[in-house]
Parts: sequence; C-alpha cells; structure tokens
Amino acid sequence: MASLDDPGEVREGFLCPLCLKDLQSFYQLQSHYEEEHSGEDRDVKGQIKSLVQKAKKAKNRLLKREGDDRAESGTQGYESFSYGGVDPYMWEPQELGAVRSHLSDFKKHRAARIDHYVVEVNKLIIRLEKLTAFDRANTESAKIRAIEKSVVPWVNDQDVPFCPDCGNKFNIRNRRHHCRLCGSIMCKKCMELISLPLANKLTSASKDSLSTHTSPSQSPNSVHGSRRGSISSMSSVSSVLDEKDDDRIRCCTHCKDTLLKREQQIDEKEHTPDIVKLYEKLRLCMEKVDQKAPEYIRMAASLNAGETTYSLEHASDLRVEVQKVYELIDALSKKILTLGLNQDPPPHPNTLRLQRMIRYSATLFVQEKLLGLMSLPTKEQFEELKKKRTQEMERKRILERQAALESQRRLEERRSDLASRAANGEVVTLRGGPAPLRKAEGWLPLSGSQGQSEDSDPLLQQIHNITSFIRQAKAAGRTDEVRTLQENLRQLQDEYDQQQTEKAIELSRKQAEEEDLQREQLQMLREREWEREREQFRAASLHTRTRSLDFREIRPFQREPGREPRTQLAHVLDLGSSPAQSSAAAKTLSPSSVLEPISLWSGPPALGQEFFPQTTISQQNEVPSLNLFDKEDLSSPTAEGTASPLAAEPSFGPSARILKEYNPFEEEEAVAGNPFTNPDSPAPNPFDEEDERPHQSPSSPPVPGNPFEEATCTNPFEMDSDSAPESEEPIEEELLLQQIDNIKAYIFDAKQCGRLDEVEVLTENLRELKRTLAKQKRGAD
Amino acid sequence: MNVVFAVKQYISKMIEDSGPGMKVLLMDKETTGIVSMVYTQSEILQKEVYLFERIDSQNREIMKHLKAICFLRPTKENVDYLIQELRRPKYSIYFIYFSNVISKSDVKSLAEADEQEVVAEVQEFYGDYIAVNPHLFSLNILGCCQGRNWDPAQLSRTTQGLTALLLSLKKCPMIRYQLSSEAAKRLAECVKQVITKEYELFEFRRTEVPPLLLILDRCDDAITPLLNQWTYQAMVHELLGINNNRIDLSRVPGISKDLREVVLSAENDEFYANNMYLNFAEIGSNIKNLMEDFQKKKPKEQQKLESIADMKAFVENYPQFKKMSGTVSKHVTVVGELSRLVSERNLLEVSEVEQELACQNDHSSALQNVKRLLQNPKVTEFDAARLVMLYALHYERHSSNSLPGLMMDLRNKGVSEKYRKLVSALVEYGGKRVRGSDLFSPKDAVAITKQFLKGLKGVENVYTQHQPFLHETLDHLIKGKLKENLYPYLGPSTLRDRPQDIIVFVIGGATYEEALTVYNLNRTTPGVRIVLGGTTVHNTKSFLEEVLASGLHSRNKESSQVMSRSTSRR
Repeated sequence: MASLDDPGEVREGFLCPLCLKDLQSFYQLQSHYEEEHSGEDRDVKGQIKSLVQKAKKAKNRLLKREGDDRAESGTQGYESFSYGGVDPYMWEPQELGAVRSHLSDFKKHRAARIDHYVVEVNKLIIRLEKLTAFDRANTESAKIRAIEKSVVPWVNDQDVPFCPDCGNKFNIRNRRHHCRLCGSIMCKKCMELISLPLANKLTSASKDSLSTHTSPSQSPNSVHGSRRGSISSMSSVSSVLDEKDDDRIRCCTHCKDTLLKREQQIDEKEHTPDIVKLYEKLRLCMEKVDQKAPEYIRMAASLNAGETTYSLEHASDLRVEVQKVYELIDALSKKILTLGLNQDPPPHPNTLRLQRMIRYSATLFVQEKLLGLMSLPTKEQFEELKKKRTQEMERKRILERQAALESQRRLEERRSDLASRAANGEVVTLRGGPAPLRKAEGWLPLSGSQGQSEDSDPLLQQIHNITSFIRQAKAAGRTDEVRTLQENLRQLQDEYDQQQTEKAIELSRKQAEEEDLQREQLQMLREREWEREREQFRAASLHTRTRSLDFREIRPFQREPGREPRTQLAHVLDLGSSPAQSSAAAKTLSPSSVLEPISLWSGPPALGQEFFPQTTISQQNEVPSLNLFDKEDLSSPTAEGTASPLAAEPSFGPSARILKEYNPFEEEEAVAGNPFTNPDSPAPNPFDEEDERPHQSPSSPPVPGNPFEEATCTNPFEMDSDSAPESEEPIEEELLLQQIDNIKAYIFDAKQCGRLDEVEVLTENLRELKRTLAKQKRGAD
Repeated sequence: MNVVFAVKQYISKMIEDSGPGMKVLLMDKETTGIVSMVYTQSEILQKEVYLFERIDSQNREIMKHLKAICFLRPTKENVDYLIQELRRPKYSIYFIYFSNVISKSDVKSLAEADEQEVVAEVQEFYGDYIAVNPHLFSLNILGCCQGRNWDPAQLSRTTQGLTALLLSLKKCPMIRYQLSSEAAKRLAECVKQVITKEYELFEFRRTEVPPLLLILDRCDDAITPLLNQWTYQAMVHELLGINNNRIDLSRVPGISKDLREVVLSAENDEFYANNMYLNFAEIGSNIKNLMEDFQKKKPKEQQKLESIADMKAFVENYPQFKKMSGTVSKHVTVVGELSRLVSERNLLEVSEVEQELACQNDHSSALQNVKRLLQNPKVTEFDAARLVMLYALHYERHSSNSLPGLMMDLRNKGVSEKYRKLVSALVEYGGKRVRGSDLFSPKDAVAITKQFLKGLKGVENVYTQHQPFLHETLDHLIKGKLKENLYPYLGPSTLRDRPQDIIVFVIGGATYEEALTVYNLNRTTPGVRIVLGGTTVHNTKSFLEEVLASGLHSRNKESSQVMSRSTSRR
C-alpha cells in the first residue's frame, strides 16, 4: 500500500475497487483482482467484476489503451452462432463428437498395393525404354520382332484361342496380336498403340525421377503434353493398314491404361493452372486486409475521438493502402471470374462455377470488411475534435484532482479510523456490520463535510467513474456503450440507495437510544466536575512524559484494525466519556486557552486525565457502557449539539476544536454511520488540524504537526498508565490486566509480521503496564 | 446436447483439417441435406469451400488444383463411387469422412484403389442425421414400417442414425422403449447391439447419471400429428411444409421469382429464431412492429399497416426495404400465405373443433360441431377427413359412436375415397387396441383435478389447448415416475436417479408441436436436457402418408364404411 503512505499522490489510474490498491495497468488490476479478492463474497465480486470489465472495455476504447481483449473474449472459444431459440446457457459446452480414424489401416493397405503398382509401372517403363532404345525406322521388322521378343516372352498363340478382352475367337481374319510390354495376346480391336513421343516422355520422366526422386517430371521432353484422347484416336485410325507401325508400339489396353495414368501424373505435377496463381494472390491480399484493417480501425476510432495517439497522415496512408488492397482483391477476383471465358472450347461449367464462387466470396469479403472501415476526419474536423478532447480531458483532470484530494483526505481519515478501530475491534462485531461496510461508512463523513460525498464509498466511486465514462462515451458518440454504462450506473445507484436507507434506519434508532444514555451520563458528569478539575493538574506532568512514547506506539495499532477485541472496554470508556470530556475540558480550558500558551500545554494532558472520572462513571453504569459505546459513536453529532448543552457552546471556540481532536474515535464513529454529517464535527479534517497546529506545536515538541498526534491521547495504554494512580483501583486493575493481555497479543502479532521496532515499543509499554499493575497491587494491599 | 452444433462442429473440423486452398465438398444425396441444415453457402464459402459436388454426379471435371473433402454415408454404392473416383482422381488430394461406421473391408478396397496416393485422411465423423433444431433431429425417413414391423432397410438406417447421434453427442445411454410397440423394442435391441459391438467407440467419460434413450412409437399418439398448429414453425410445416429448412412457396398466388423457395433456418435468421415458437398472432404483430420501425425511418410516406395484406403491399412498394430486410420480406410472404390459407380453409373454426376433439370429452357437442363443419363448404376435404379421423380416434369405443354417419357425411361432401379409407387405416394404426396408454382420459387423481380446474377456469387459448402426449411421458420420466411396466429398460440395469440427459426417439416421426414441448421442458427444467428425434418430422399430410405407407388399411378389404361399422359394434 505504498500509495497510502504517500497521501500527496494523485490517485488516479487503476485502483482496485475493494482495497484501493493502485495497479499499473488493467491487466495487473485484473490479475490482482483474481488473486486478492477471489475469496471474497461472490455476489459482490461478480457485480464489481462485471463493472470493472465494462468500465475497462469502455476505458480501453476511450483512452485507446494498447493491448488486446483476448484475455476476456478468449473464453468463448467457439465460433459464435445463433442458438436457434434454445437458451445456450442451458447446454454445457460441447466438445467435438466422437471420431474414429481409419487412416493407419488405410495406409497399411495402400502401401502394400502401391508397392505392387509401382513395380508394375516401373517394369512397363523399363520395357518401353528397351523397346525404344534402338532406331526402329532403320531396323528390319524381323530384327525388331526379335528384340521385342527378347524384352518380354510372348505368350504362345495356341494357349489363347479367344481374345481375353472381347472374347472373340481368333482365326485367319481375326488375328492374334501380342502386347509388346507384357507379351499377352489380344485381337486387333482390343489392341492399343503407344507413340514414340509418348514413350520418350514416359521413359525420360522416369529417369529424372530416379535421379531426383521428388519431382519426376522436370524434363524438357515433356513439352509434348499431348492429350491422351487425341493420341489414342489418331493411332487407332492410322494403324489400320500399317502392320509395321514403325513409330508405334503395340500393347494391350491394361498396359496402356497404366502408362496413361502415369503420363497424367507427370503432366499434373508440372502444371499450375492460372487460376491457382491468381487465387494465391487473392488470398494473400485477403490476409493483408485481415491484418491491416483492425489496425486502421483502431487508428480511425482513436482519431475520431480526437486523440492524438496516431497521426492523421499515417492513418490516411494506411487507409489508402487498405483500400488499394481491396481494389486489388476486386480486380483479382474479376480476373478469376473471366478466366478462360474467351477460350475455345469454353471451360467446363464446373470451372466457371468455381470462378463465380471465388468471385462471389471475394465480393462478400470486400463488402463485409470495407463497410467496416470507418472514415477519417478531415484536418479541420480533426482539429476540432482535438480541441474537444482536450477540454474533455481538462474537465476530467479537474474531476480527478478533486477526487485525489478527496482520497487524500479520506486517507487521513482512514488512518485515524484505523487507529480507532485498532482499539475498537469488538465494536465492529457488536454493531454486527461487516467490516468492509464499516470502512465505507468511515469515509463518508469526510466527503459529506466537503459537500462532495460521492467518492468515498467504493460504490459511490464506481458511480462517479461510470458517470464520467458515460460522459466520455457520449462525447465519442458510442451510444451502445452509453446504454450499457447507464444501465450499470442505474444498478449501482439502486444498490447504493438501498445501502443508504438501511444505514439511515439503523442510525436513527441508535441515535434515539444514545440520547437517553448521554443525558444520563451528563447528569453524572456534572456531579464529578469539581473533582476532576482538581485532579487535572496532577496528571498533566505525567502525561507529557508518556506521550512521546505513544506516538510511536500508535502506528502498529493503526495497522491492525480490530485485531484486539479486548481493548474494546477501554475504548468504550473513552468514547463514552468523550462528550462529557469535551464539555468538562471546555469548561476548564476555554477561558485560558486563547490567551495563554500554558493552558494549551496543559490541555491535552487534562483530557487524558478526564478519562478517569469517566471510568468511574462507566463503572457506575457498567451495563449501559457497553452499549453506550456503540451507540455513542454513531450519534454524537446530534448528541453533542442537543444532549450536552455544556459542550455545545464552547465547541465553536478553538479550544473546543482541540478537544475534539483528542477524540477522533468519537467523531469518526459518530460520523461513520451518518451520511448527514454535521460539517463541524469531523475532527481529523485536515483543515481543522491546520487551525490547530500553531496552538499545539508548543505543547507537543516531539511530534510537531503530526496529524496523528491526537490519536495518541486516546491510546488506551497511555490512558491506563496515566490513570493508574488516580482512578479507582479495582476496575483499574481489571483494565490493566486486560491491557497487558492486549499488548501481549500485539507483540505476538507484531512478531509474526516481523515488525521488530513495534515489538520493542510494545514490550516497553508492557513493562510499564506491569509496573503500574504492581504498584497498584501494592497500593491495594 | 446441441445436435446442430454437433454436426456443425464436425463439418468445421473437416474443413479446418484440410488446410488452406480451394476446396470442393463431395457429398451424397443425404449428406448434402445434413450439411445444408447447419451451414449456409456464404458461411462455408468463407472457409474456401467453393464447389459442392455430388459423388454420383458424372459431370465432374478434373480440377487438380482443388482439394476434395468427401463427406459420405458409408453405403455400398458410395464406396463404389469413391473407388472409381480414387482410381482416376479428379482432385489433388482427398479428405474422406464417413458419416458412420465403415467396414474394414471397405476401407481396404478403398486403400487398394488409391494407387496414386491422393487420400490424406479417412475418418468416421458421426454426423449421420438431419439436425433440425438444437434439440430436434430427423432422419427424413417416410414410411419406416410395414404393418407393425420395421422395413429392414429403414431399421438399419434408423439404427445408424440413432447411434451416430449418440456418438456425436458422446452419450452411451441406457435404453427404455415403449412396450406396446414391437418396432420400438426392435430398434432398442439394434441400438444396443451396435453399442455392444462398437464398445470402443462408446467409451466416454462416465457421467454421474447415465444418459437415457427413450424409444417411442408414433402409434401411441396419433392425435398430435393430426392437429392444426398455431406456432410459427409448426404452422409453416403444417400448411406449407418444411423440407430440410426449405419451404416451397411456388404455389402461392402471385409469388415473385426469388421467393419461390425460401429457407427458414434458425441458425442464420434472427427473426425466425426469435419467433419460431411464438404463435401466429404474435408473429403478425412482430412483423408489423418491424415494418413500422422501418416506416419511422422513412417518414415521408405514412402508411397504416392494419392487415397482413397491407403489409404485403407495403413490402412490395419498397424495394429498398426488401433489400434491407430480405428476411423480413420472406417472413411477410410466409405469414401472408399462412393467413390466406387460414381464412380460405376456415382453419380457426376447424382448429377449435380439433382441439375440442383432442382435449375434451363431451361427445355430443363434439359430434355436433364436426357435423356442422362437414356442412361448411369452406372446409376442405382434407380438413374434413382430419376431423372425422380425430373423432374416430377419440370416440372409437364410445357407446353412441356415430362414425358411420360421419363417413356418410364425408362421402356426401365429396371427400375422395383415399381420405375415407384413411380414417379406418388411422384407427387401425393408432386406435385403442394399439395404444399402450390412454390418450384421452387422465388416469391419476392429480391429472383429473388438473383437468377439472382447467374446465372451471376455461382455457386461455382454445387453439393451443392440446398438450402432446409426449409431454406427460417426459414429465413422468423427468420425475422418475415413468412406469416400468409400460416403458421397460432394455437389459438388466435400471436408472436409479432421475435422468438428466434424455434422448427421445419417435418411430414413425415426431412433430414440431412435440419439438416445442421439448423446447419448453428444456427451458423450464434446469439440469435436464432433452433431445427429440424421429424418423421424420411430420405434418398431417406426411403423417397420413406414413399411415398409408405402413399398409395397414390394405389388410382390410372391406369398404371403409363396413369397417367402421364393425369397429363401432365392438
């Protein structure tokens, strides 16, 4: 809590709404939130968290914080789509249904098959190579036949009486033909021919593939690129008469099929159609848009909000760039659309359909994304926007400064509040309110006194924040945000109103009870006045001695609010007495305080002393004293004003103010639950302190101007040690014992937390207390 | 338990796995329907799928620059087509997904056909059903039974569809079936068999309460599909017919060209998604509101929209409006047509009597009303037959049954013999003899009291009094009160807790009214998720075809009149 120790710091930025810790960024705040406050009440947390997130989003957009929202949007991993009337929250998140892969099985079978196939193909190609290796044109047909027979053994004519393919009987007219590649027999009708260029292409491609393995078809020979349909039709026509077919190789349909497939494969591997090239470009452009458009939109939004994070020129450059990409996409898709339209023969209808679809999807893409591109402001507009923005920021800054002042004041308030609560733990439980609520209440009076109550309660703070967000969002023209924010605001206000009403009801009840008690008390006080006045001077010297100690002591206690419930009793006494004190002190001091510094010097100790009579009082009405405390602390403003006529008058004088300073508990507690605080009452108000300091400084040289000085007087220990000799022994003893216990507990706690200096101070205190106790016992004996 | 999402996820995964580049989606007749239910063209285009081809289409060009995603049912002919395809591949690379379990031998023959090594993936993705709504699926089988027993081919298809659904939702359920139906028992056994056989597939993370599959038979409730409907989706189906989200409007008088066939899909039509379960009146006012909103934007021409006809005129006069809200013009057309049919066929009156026949037990008043409507010339023969059918079902064994008289009235009205025969066929199909449970008179005291109170209060809406019988069944099921003697478990184990994930399957087809019931149950019972399925989703017309296809009437060669007389004598 570094920021708490430095009250001068302007408190803006990413404050945790629960502990007011200042975090550096949204992300730190969020993680802090998750770590520190995840254990806290779910409802409250959920509410505030959603609020934080909303506020964060709004702020992100408004302030143009760099960074992504992925952290929060990432939770919705699935693509969003409408749920067709069924409430999606009903259904649990759904994973992909069951699947089963047959790929490994498939591959196993395929591998076996492929091996076989590859062997077949290679065999054919090797034979083909052999058949084309010699100069067919200049070789005698008998010799050719011999070579052909050597490549593959021919099947015996007698073994095949019918054509295996068409089943026709072989005779003189229907002669047998041998496949030169596998040696099998077929009729002329079923015979196929392979031209030499094709053979060359196949064999050369294979050679290449042997050498390179990966790309089997880089050979220049494959320029032929002849379509298989044309080859076969041509060869079948021309081979009718020519038995010799010098430049063709006879083969069966099966071999030819295999070879043609091979050829096709070769063709495909080296051919990339135009459409693919264009399409690749198109996709590249689309990717570029996907990349740039969000950047541009961010810029444009920022500029349109009048911010100067990005330069206008840069943004317009980017816009031009993005637009150019769009134009390119449009042009490319158009080109794809018209691809091959003028060719003869016209492309297959499916090709055209593909082209149309690509064009259509490109159009959809452009429509969708281009419409999302917001326009930029012109230079003049931008200047105006900037001005507006600056004004806006100025206003916001003023507001924030006010808020900072507030928080600073609050901080001080809180310190004393904490201090009070350190001695006051049980009060909390007595009142039955949860601690955070009390804290909230504790801040209220201060802001109330400033007439600007809005910032002290976390709820109020949020309300304030959201109001400013709404203003900003309105200025930026983001109506949907404004709507959500306003809704949020309404909820918060409802919540706050409810809280306030509850508090007010409680308060009024307590006030009524407390008034009675106070009246009773005052009665008794009056009886004791004289006695106290006498005692006062004696105690003064004692008190000043112990005081310096107490300044140091008070700090540890401030940090441990409400740890020690036992102190409560002491505190009860203290608080219970306070109005009476002030009246008494006022009576005694006021005549002298303005004129004589000495009276001031003696003033504080006098107050310290006044506890003693009070303790006796509270002893007298022991039963109410317990209640007394928690009522008193709420009600005092009115009580002071009305129930204690003695206090009422002097409270306007400077000394009266001093007196109040000495009872910060009373004021704070009083004000704590009271939103309608009396502006006079808040003692720890810095302004009041300032007034007081000049008077005070001579009286308390050890810690001049320390605003917490006052609190020390109320330290139960001091009071106890001071009071020991004077007050009635039995109760003192009890109190002392309690205090000793308390201090022991404090020491233990301090040790646990490793605050050694505190331990030291506390031990000293403890020793003193023990001494006093011993003294007392002796006296009693 | 969202079936639309389940299928959609499968398709997305397929496309995702195939990587970037131009793609073609190769499907068969059925998978085309399956995909079209969950993806729109523009949506799928964005994923670089540019062509959609049927595997059996012969007119496909070689396009080696495309990747092929094959989503096929594992039928014999599909495997054959695929083998041919792989022998001479038309695309550069193949990603093969079967919508159901494929045999090892088929995988082998495919592998052997892939000599050019173009196959990159072979998987089973169990999207083997039509996902109509998130909680409603169909198999689009019309005429699943022959007589009381399964058509064997349809039984195997239904088993496949149902097991695929279970796999896609990752549920390995306990099975209950309707005892009175032989078909239900048979299907339950088949599903169980598959689960046992493919036990590896059905090994899912065990949930505390195992899911439940309840198999019902349409013949237990023949009333629901006979009623006119008044909620949007159901009404559109009843009056216009929804086929895979498509509605044929070509018979609508004066229909413009681009509205001949419209698609109503809750997935990408917000208006439809928001209104599909609302009743007719509400939709009318919603459309009116929407158009009035638009009018406010165009203040120049103030028009008052009093009737649906006005709205239609309005839409036609505003081309920009049409452009801006194409969906709305679609809905205006559809609602306009619905309202035209309602008035033309006098459906309000007909529906009122239908509801009386279905929900009340006042014989004389019902008979009187039916007779009155049969005299009304506006009532079509279809509706007339429907009324008589409802009467025949409800008062089948009533002491003063006057079905013969009504049949005579039908004949006098000139209702064709087809419909008159259907009356007796329907009684045969879903009559008292067949039903395992009582449709009309409530059994337990609570239900009787409820009905009594209902009678006292009067009904809120006379046209939507009817609650499908399914509601009661599911209600009992959810509360753990469904009788085991009527709906036994298959196998020895029973469910001790109340079921949470329920899949209901209706042999012979579900209806949109039942889908609405399930939707409402899903909404109102937290922790319970119900998915409804059927061999198809019926309207009255398709239901009567189903009855006709079951061939029950053919057993009885007598004329319908004689038949019905004999029934009444019983």
